[in-house]
Amino acid sequence: VRAFEALYRSHGGRMKSVARGLLGNTADAEDAVQEAFLKLYRSLGAFKGESRLSTFLHRILVNACFDLGRKRKRRAETQDVEETGREGLASSAPDPALRVTLDRGLRRLPPQQRAVFVLFEVEGLTHREVGEVLGIPEGTSKHALFLAKKSLQALVLDLRRGRSAS
Amino acid sequence: MTFDCRQLEDALREGDPEALAPARAHAEACASCREQLDAWDAVSQGAPLLRSRWESPALWSRIETAIAQEAARRRERRRLMRWLPSAAAAAALLAAFAAWLALRVPTAPDLAAADQRLLTERALRDVERSEAQYAASIERLAKVAGPLVAKPDTPLLASYREKLQLLDAAIADCRSEIERNRFNAQLRQELLSIYREKQRTLEQLMGERT
Repeated sequence: VRAFEALYRSHGGRMKSVARGLLGNTADAEDAVQEAFLKLYRSLGAFKGESRLSTFLHRILVNACFDLGRKRKRRAETQDVEETGREGLASSAPDPALRVTLDRGLRRLPPQQRAVFVLFEVEGLTHREVGEVLGIPEGTSKHALFLAKKSLQALVLDLRRGRSAS
Repeated sequence: MTFDCRQLEDALREGDPEALAPARAHAEACASCREQLDAWDAVSQGAPLLRSRWESPALWSRIETAIAQEAARRRERRRLMRWLPSAAAAAALLAAFAAWLALRVPTAPDLAAADQRLLTERALRDVERSEAQYAASIERLAKVAGPLVAKPDTPLLASYREKLQLLDAAIADCRSEIERNRFNAQLRQELLSIYREKQRTLEQLMGERT
């Protein structure tokens, strides 16, 4: 348990952030992190050291998020607006409107595109690492990122055009 | 080489700075492409703003509790798995012996033709010994499942408890019948099948919990 606690202390914050990006709210994100640690405990034997432990842990986390996301899809949809407002999306952020736009847009992306965007753009993993976490080739990761950014770019354009119109 | 507005999407798809360089040069003189590129860049620049960090003082203790519960379930499963092979072996032995007796008894020349189902004294002792071993294995299983049966916390566990109570009552009835007629092979087979059902029920109950 001590080893798990050390793992939690070093990776927990980032894991919560990834899970929040994928699930859209902090409560589900914490549930997913808990589930990921439980799955890690159950499947430690499956870790062969081929990838870094953090990659293995993120893979388990993303799968836990996908499972939880499927179960709670309806709830997440109803919480969409409420969560964005409640969590404030960093009032100190230089452009809160941009952040809110991206956050909302992110939730509307298909799961794989959302996961690639969160891991690559938000958390700074490389396409190779994203591929390892999601079990997809690097090329697929790049393509999913392009599609995700294209969708978000359209929202940013709407936001900017709306600002200049007003 | 001149850059065409229609090439912008391909450059964005490539994604690397080298592929975007001609697009950026073109965008200096093209308002439409500049707007597209600015919005594209804003997505990447805004992405780190989505990083969220918040305190979760209770989360680690939740995880710790969940891991401890999982460890306890594993220990329980291992305990159960220690008894299962011996229970299964005893059941198989008893079943084989009972089947052999059932086939053998009617053809035994030293038995009266009118009472072919009765057992010989020697065979009876063997059957009773196997039966006792099997019953002891089942009781050990029952002991492992004891806490779940004593305080069932779901409707399913409660119905397993009721079924086990019925089976225990049936075992007691069958035993008292057997005490009155120790040589009756049919009663012994009936008792065996009730024990088998009890074993199955206990395994299902433990399976539900794990």
